[in-house]
Amino acid sequence: MKGQTWRLAVTGIFIVMAFIGFWNTLRYWTLSGTDRQKMEEIRPGSAQELERKAMRLGLDLQGGLHVVLRVQMEKIEASARVDAVDRAIQVIRNRVDFTGVTEPVILKQGDDRIIVDLPGYTDAAQAENIIGQTAQLEFKLVESMENAGLILKKIDSIVVAAGKTGTESKVATAGAESKVKDSATTRDTSDVFGEMLKGDTGQVADTALSEGETPFTQYLEPFLYSSKNNTPWPGYVIAMRDRGLVERILAMPEVKRVIPEDVQFSWSTRTDIKAAQSVYYLYILKNKVQFLGKNLERIKLGRGQSQEHTVDFRLSGQSSAAFARLTGANIDKPLAIVIDNRVESAPFINSKIRNDGQITMGSSATIKDAQNLEIVLKAGALPAPVEIIEKNVIGPTLGSDSIRKGLISSIVGLIAVFLFVGIYYRLSGLIADIGLLFNIFFLLAIMAGLSATLTMPGIAGIILTIGISVDSNILIFERVREELRSGKTVRASIDAGYNRALLTIIDSHVTTLITAGALFIFGAGPIKGFAVSLFWGVTISLYTAVIITKMIFDIRKGYQSLSI
Amino acid sequence: MFRILKETNIDFIGQRYKAFTFSGILLAIGLFAIVMIILGKGNMGLDFAGGTMLQGNFNQAINVSDLRSAVTGGGFEEASIQKVERFNAPNSFIIRVKETTVGGEKAVDKLMSTILTSFPNNKFNKDSEHTIGPAVGESLRKTTQWAVLISVLGMLVYIWLRFDFRSGVAATVATFHDVIAVMGIFYILDKEVTLLLITALLTLAGYSLTDTVVVYDRIRENLKKFRKKGDFVNTVNRSINEVLSRTIMTSMTVLLVVVVLFLFGGEVLRDFSLAMILGVIVGTYSSVFVASPIVVEWEARSPRRFR
Repeated sequence: MKGQTWRLAVTGIFIVMAFIGFWNTLRYWTLSGTDRQKMEEIRPGSAQELERKAMRLGLDLQGGLHVVLRVQMEKIEASARVDAVDRAIQVIRNRVDFTGVTEPVILKQGDDRIIVDLPGYTDAAQAENIIGQTAQLEFKLVESMENAGLILKKIDSIVVAAGKTGTESKVATAGAESKVKDSATTRDTSDVFGEMLKGDTGQVADTALSEGETPFTQYLEPFLYSSKNNTPWPGYVIAMRDRGLVERILAMPEVKRVIPEDVQFSWSTRTDIKAAQSVYYLYILKNKVQFLGKNLERIKLGRGQSQEHTVDFRLSGQSSAAFARLTGANIDKPLAIVIDNRVESAPFINSKIRNDGQITMGSSATIKDAQNLEIVLKAGALPAPVEIIEKNVIGPTLGSDSIRKGLISSIVGLIAVFLFVGIYYRLSGLIADIGLLFNIFFLLAIMAGLSATLTMPGIAGIILTIGISVDSNILIFERVREELRSGKTVRASIDAGYNRALLTIIDSHVTTLITAGALFIFGAGPIKGFAVSLFWGVTISLYTAVIITKMIFDIRKGYQSLSI
Repeated sequence: MFRILKETNIDFIGQRYKAFTFSGILLAIGLFAIVMIILGKGNMGLDFAGGTMLQGNFNQAINVSDLRSAVTGGGFEEASIQKVERFNAPNSFIIRVKETTVGGEKAVDKLMSTILTSFPNNKFNKDSEHTIGPAVGESLRKTTQWAVLISVLGMLVYIWLRFDFRSGVAATVATFHDVIAVMGIFYILDKEVTLLLITALLTLAGYSLTDTVVVYDRIRENLKKFRKKGDFVNTVNRSINEVLSRTIMTSMTVLLVVVVLFLFGGEVLRDFSLAMILGVIVGTYSSVFVASPIVVEWEARSPRRFR
């Protein structure tokens, strides 16, 4: 009898604990939109806090973004490789925190991989921008117009020469757009021109070639003027559709050869709208890094003179002297602000800047762009470039659909097993069913209490638990039946059934737990969720299927017959 | 009291050579499948091979073969296209290709533009995309190998400690038998090897072992009771018969839930539940016809008292 009291007390405690564990999740799941608003009015942030405490739905259930990054170790020095991944994780975590995504999952996988899960976040491009940027901020001077002009002239003559060969073969063979492309000797360039002829610019290209004009520079519409003395600087507008073409010309080996080593062509970070079409900017820069952006402090958003977005910063001690020297020596010249080798903007230096600087964003930059820049600058630079090797965008529709399917299969599975056991073992079966319900309840409570993430495979684990959990009772009941057949009393049969089946049950549970453990330790992504729910489900079933059901039998122990 | 079976007295061990032949065929198919997978000729899912998965729905009904010819015409000759039954999106499809990029363009973008231009009057809405580089597959393969190795070793050691070395080996063989057999069947059905399939295989390994352990427990108990009368083979046979209704019942309940999962769990879990269904059936068979007969054969060759 004493043992009975103990078991009742422990079970009571478990039930209370389960309710506590479940409480937040229950409240969150039953929270309607207006309730949520009310909560926020009474105490701001309380709804979000509740959300954090509740059981989370995995990416597959609520939609979101799953990204796997690889830290490109080969691109950094060996000495920096030791903790590069950990530092990268720190930087990415900071960046994601700034975006306000709740409960991101950022994990290290293997030697050089990072998994980033952003539940509820579906803007893949934006996410790539935030987590993928190395955020190497550099300041570079723009090349002078004379030097840039010389380089461009050389490129033009190369392109014209290549184009001529292309045109000659075109003249030789009538209607031979395809032939031009096949021309073996000038393969690269004829490819370029083949493309050009097909595109919208075909007309222009054709005339340009026949008149021997400059086919490269005609794509470059200069825009970077110093308003003070009206000097042009090598910054050009390129129509969005021509970007590929320009890139291919710049990638031609002959062209590469004429670009001096200290000069680089750099694209703008984003497109802009000019004369009703999308354009990129192309800059010709001196590629010497004048100043590194890692000394920036107190980064915050601001507004420029013409109301464009800016990111303002302050420089610390020594670095401010260097910056003052740089800006002082280059007044009235443009200074390119380069992030990850793309030009954010190239404002003119008006005066010597000592402490406070400003990064002006292009006129097309939205507040989001400015915020992104702020985030990546604040969180610091990644220790090594990263590449995105896996990207999984799950729409919310897929999520609601999955939830529905998971719910249906859980309920149908539960009912099926419930009925099966109830009918086959009658009243005893119902007692097993009660144990099963407790199992599910405790399992959900533990997962809620641990703030575990519920995924589709996790639901599969719960459903499988339903099947495995009653197994223990079947083992016991079959044993009880055997004992009854051998002529024992009801009381003795029940006790013997439980005692003798116990070792077998433990054996069978341990083997399943070994599997769940291995899956948890080594499994990735979806497997982990499955392992967690299977592990807890099986562990709890030891208690619910053996102890709780026995307790119920013991309470009604005066009975002389057993419905089994 | 309901009973599926009255007391039975079936000579399971007497059937062992038939069972061994049957299992041999299953194993041969399974081993062939494994060799093919190792040689890289298996139907590896995107998880392992890398590739792109695009799921979406059309506004209006569409013929699968039209979609297929459009996608293959767009340069994806090995695309697999699957119609998905979904509640709030009736004309849903999953398109899987084993490429991540096509000629410098992302495969997803290429797929989308191919579909959009092929069916200009029937809008295709993207629900999800999934891209995995082959490098991910490589590391997954490694961790998966570890998971399989650790769990199998763990089980072997546990059975060895709880019973004896022979039983441990026999149970492990039976477990491998089940996993390999299901892999073989999946290979024949041309199902993809995915992460979820591996999960299912490991789970069924644990489950099949459970089944075997129950039989072993009873054999051990009966050996103590009947050590003096009756021989080893009879004791084993008797034990299997005694726990037969239990074996069938437990398999039935698990089968029930995995069938439900198969029917209602949706696309994501379909192959997982199919593997579990096959696994429960093969696992039940092997605990009766493989695990115990191996111990019997071993005992016949080098007699030693079953501990």
